[in-house]
Amino acid sequence: MHLSPYKKTHFNNNIPHLHHHHHHHIHDDDASAIDMHNNTTTTNSTSRCSSDSGEPCEDGKWACKLLKECAIAISQRDSTKIHHLLWMLNELASPYGDLDQKLASYFLQALFCKATESGHRCYKTLSTVAQKSNNFDSARKLILKFQEVSPWTTFGHVAANGAILEALEGESNLHIIDISNTLCTQWPTLFEALATRNDETPRLRLTVVALSSTTVSSVMKEVGQRMEKFARLMGVPFEFNVINGLDRLGELTKESLGITNDEAIAVNCIGALRRIEVEERESAIRMFRSLNPKVVTVVEEEADFSSNRNDFVQCFEECLKFYGLYFEMLEESFPLTSNERLMLERDCSRSIVRVLACGGGDEQNNNDENNNKEEFEDCCERRERGTQWCEKLKKEFSGAKFSDDVVDDVKALLKRYRGGWSLVLPQQQQQEEGHNSNYNNNTLSGIFLTWKEEPVVWASAWKP
Amino acid sequence: MLILQNMDHGELSNAFPHHQNQNPTTTTPPSLKRKRNLPGNPDPEAEVIALSPKTLMATNRFLCETCGKGFQRDQNLQLHRRGHNLPWKLKQRTNKEPKKRVYVCPEKTCVHNHPSRALGDLTGIKKHFCRKHGEKKWKCDKCSKRYAVQSDWKAHSKTCGTREYKCDCGTIFSRRDSFITHRAFCDALAEETARVNAASSINNSTLGANNNNNNIIGYNNMMIGTSMAPHHNNNNNMATQFASICNKPIPFTEEATNNQTTTRGLSLWMDHHHHHRQEATMATNNNNYHLNWVFGSKISTNPSQDLSSNTITSTTTASLPILGSIVNVPSLYSSQHQPHQTCASSSSANMSATALLQKAAQVGATSSDPSSFLGALGLKCSNGSGQGQDGNNNKFCGVYGSSLVLTSSSNNISTEPEKNELSQMHPSKRRHVMPNEESGGGQTRDFLGVGGANHHLPPFINQSLDLI
Repeated sequence: MHLSPYKKTHFNNNIPHLHHHHHHHIHDDDASAIDMHNNTTTTNSTSRCSSDSGEPCEDGKWACKLLKECAIAISQRDSTKIHHLLWMLNELASPYGDLDQKLASYFLQALFCKATESGHRCYKTLSTVAQKSNNFDSARKLILKFQEVSPWTTFGHVAANGAILEALEGESNLHIIDISNTLCTQWPTLFEALATRNDETPRLRLTVVALSSTTVSSVMKEVGQRMEKFARLMGVPFEFNVINGLDRLGELTKESLGITNDEAIAVNCIGALRRIEVEERESAIRMFRSLNPKVVTVVEEEADFSSNRNDFVQCFEECLKFYGLYFEMLEESFPLTSNERLMLERDCSRSIVRVLACGGGDEQNNNDENNNKEEFEDCCERRERGTQWCEKLKKEFSGAKFSDDVVDDVKALLKRYRGGWSLVLPQQQQQEEGHNSNYNNNTLSGIFLTWKEEPVVWASAWKP
Repeated sequence: MLILQNMDHGELSNAFPHHQNQNPTTTTPPSLKRKRNLPGNPDPEAEVIALSPKTLMATNRFLCETCGKGFQRDQNLQLHRRGHNLPWKLKQRTNKEPKKRVYVCPEKTCVHNHPSRALGDLTGIKKHFCRKHGEKKWKCDKCSKRYAVQSDWKAHSKTCGTREYKCDCGTIFSRRDSFITHRAFCDALAEETARVNAASSINNSTLGANNNNNNIIGYNNMMIGTSMAPHHNNNNNMATQFASICNKPIPFTEEATNNQTTTRGLSLWMDHHHHHRQEATMATNNNNYHLNWVFGSKISTNPSQDLSSNTITSTTTASLPILGSIVNVPSLYSSQHQPHQTCASSSSANMSATALLQKAAQVGATSSDPSSFLGALGLKCSNGSGQGQDGNNNKFCGVYGSSLVLTSSSNNISTEPEKNELSQMHPSKRRHVMPNEESGGGQTRDFLGVGGANHHLPPFINQSLDLI
């Protein structure tokens, strides 16, 4: 078997790694007391909680173990244990520490909310705090810096832009419906491509469906101005509109989006579908179809918080695995003392609370003040995997393969970043997942971005 | 004079007898979508050859009549024929090829399919056919850009990844995509546009046909014109465009600089994606005036102005010897044709053109007091509003002054590192001289747009003065 540094290997001596923690002495005693598993296998150097689905975390690092223990305790309503573990995590956790400490800190918050059924309140508080510091400059700085150090988002941008350009080739009136939280960072390179094409530069209309109403008011206005200026610079006839419609995505119509008959439509969904309530996702997809677009691009993060939403422990593990990967990626991509990374991590904390502590009918019913869904800026954020999205999208669309040119562009993009990133084509991914996949899916669409050989982002294109 | 030659070339295309219909197959008039080296205006007497794609791309077109062997080049064929020991008579070429041949593109939808736009060079038409209608087989593995012509690909590979992109705000990027995205959101862009808008109103009031101004314009035209050389291939142009943006990759020798700037100058104007849009933005005469100045000879919008500026050119040369030497300083000269916003669009001439136009439009607004600048330069300058008295000083101001104004929008600028940028040197400077001469104190502003004697000058200017 090929020994990859990123894959789980079977080592017996994971203990030395723990010496790196200064509070190791506290942990050691407790770990042995709590450890319910015969832990003989570990990953060799990462704190990532990589595991096959269904198996508990076999990681040597303490955070994953403790957190999972706590989750199990919560689902079993073992309050002594819950208290004990929460206390321990609290002692060890810190949002400014190393990876384990960060994970512990943010997940502890979610677990606490879950245990005390205060998820919604906590989420609201976190959102309010975030909104206060939400302005164009900081958002721009954050997003651009992230894109500079990691292809996490730019992967989807390049793939989507490539698919859109190819699908709309030859059209002279383009209208892109952008349902995303990218703050239009995807579009400058598209403008440039449109302007430098050999043929006549087409007219472009961009209608952004903002995913949160606060962003609309404070930030999108400025973003729109910049886009207009830049399009002018590029010589692309351009029109910009913003609408706030995520909560009623399924009810958007051609009229409400301002679509005219002579336009070629592209629908661009980046990180948006996961913010739609699970039950409403199919109707949203039907809405897309009703717009009769030439192409629909969907980019989502590869994680499943949706099929297991009624199983807390399973959902928790999935969450831990995904965010563990994400935090690790952030740590390795950003410089050591990066403020931007801290911001991104904090953004995650809201999502984590939302997914783990805000689900379920009981809590929602208990909070009368929160009946209005618009209170929640980011909706449920229940991610699904590419295979799952494919199932839904296939009902209205057929998957469009990315052309070789686009694939090459993406590969070239990944080369420009630090190592660890690679592109995986659907058939390769299917082979990987084959034995685990619950879906008998022969035609998996889209391409995957993998980091240390774990798929993290999925990008796809669809045509009617 | 080269300018005139180039102009003639451009004029010829309009006067070309066969040109009854300039654009039989394109959607936009060729004058608006002119590619860099306007090809396809052949000699009316030439024989028009239409080859099929297969024949066109055949590698061995020259066949020996004796043995049938094929060669890529005629010279090779002749060399080979010598080996057949032919009698003297047959050694000569049977057909002397007295007629000049021009070739049309076999692609029916192509503009060059029409005989009036045929290309005179066989290699040229082959490359054209490949580039526009051929399969792009050659791919750069660094940026995955594709080329149909191998020589294009090779030329690109040499420079790919070596470029650096610098934004007006001072940040440097090694990756084009992150540069573009940054540029779109950069505050520098916002400021530029704000100044353009503010400028346009002042522009209208300060336009005047002052002779001194013409001199400067002419001078700059000359500077641009003399070094203008026709066309190069795509790669050269791209490279030169980027070179002027970049800090380092291409060495700035005098010649190279001149060549770079001129090819850019030409390309800016000729590769017109959206010339019409530019025209729209250039609402005032003022702006067109700038255009003439900025782009030198090849101005298709205002041929009359073009001529005037060109004629003025010759008269000013003699009067500005000093500037000539200054101009030859590579760093100054290279940056002189470097509008800020070129960075943004760097990949194509179109962008530069728009950028330059916007820049040009700005210049009028920033009426400025050259004395502070000149003071910093160590030159004397007549003060106050009587700037116009000293012709030379005005010209200096014209060359150097307004660029500084343009780069700084307001007090904010003083904290930015952009002053160190070569890119600050900007051709549209002379414009500010006019307001100085005409207006009283009202509109004068410090070059940097801040009040008072605020000498935030790029250090290199002082350095360059040492060379004078």
